[in-house]
Amino acid sequence: MACAEFESQLLEYGELARDVRVRVDAHVAGCTGCREFLEALQAVDAALESQFAGRHVSTEFEQAVRRRVQSEPAARRLSFVPEILDFVGWAAIVALIGLALYWVTNLVPASGGSEKTTFSFVAAWAAAFVFLLVSFLVGLRSFADLKH
Amino acid sequence: MEQEIRACLDQKRYREAFELLLPEYQNKVFRLAYGMLGDAGQAEDTSQEVFIRIWKALEGYRGQSSLATWIYAITRNACLTSLKKGASRKEVSMEEPGVGSAVERLEAPPATDQRTGVDVSALVGQLPEKHRQVLRLYYMEEKSYLEVSRLLDMPMGTVKVYLHRGRKELAEALARSKMEKGTA
Repeated sequence: MACAEFESQLLEYGELARDVRVRVDAHVAGCTGCREFLEALQAVDAALESQFAGRHVSTEFEQAVRRRVQSEPAARRLSFVPEILDFVGWAAIVALIGLALYWVTNLVPASGGSEKTTFSFVAAWAAAFVFLLVSFLVGLRSFADLKH
Repeated sequence: MEQEIRACLDQKRYREAFELLLPEYQNKVFRLAYGMLGDAGQAEDTSQEVFIRIWKALEGYRGQSSLATWIYAITRNACLTSLKKGASRKEVSMEEPGVGSAVERLEAPPATDQRTGVDVSALVGQLPEKHRQVLRLYYMEEKSYLEVSRLLDMPMGTVKVYLHRGRKELAEALARSKMEKGTA
């Protein structure tokens, strides 16, 4: 119903700069569609403002909340679970890096190194286990965070 | 005020912090809840739940976001929970003592256009949920895009788009009603 080129300006009519407003007013004066649209917008604004402006809680609200807070236990002590999981996770990462370094340094071929090769396989398995443990702990940490 | 509340929290004076926070944020929380839920009685119940949640979580507040941002996030979550429970809440009988009168005190009269007698609030009910929320909050928050954007955690451009679409639809519906009344 409003002219497409003026529609957005009519929607922002109250915020228009003076020169723009003069131009819009000149158009509205000669355009029935835009005039009706602007009047309808102003009626909507007036109706909704009268319904919603200045809404606040009832006078009993504050007392009702205080009564409920009195009956609730004191503010819950923050859980240390996420911090403990963090500590264990970081410790595991350090252990993982240590194991990986040890494994790499022992991959260097050595004379009669079958014992060393066996050990490096153990280190690889240990590293894989630690990696899985870290992944699990990181997941658990995220879960604990979400719970809090 | 936020500084004072933070100072109390730093010193682990949680009750004192809560006492400062309650009067400061009660109307903001209520208006956000009313904007999201569209029912004043339900909004006040949900606001009470929000403050209980705040009280229980106060010790866990680490100050990574502003206090207002934290409180509005709790309010939005509580409203979403309340919306999910909406169907069962509607079953609360208005005959229960105190329920009817309490709701009457909070509910505003319908927004009627004086010239046409058209109930604009009924037209609002036909808009998409997001448009309704933005519209209600816009008029409650003295037409501040910024405040609506902060309360709903929505980009200001999106707030403007929803608002313009909502107002446009309402204006067109109102004009149609006016024409229908004129021809009837």
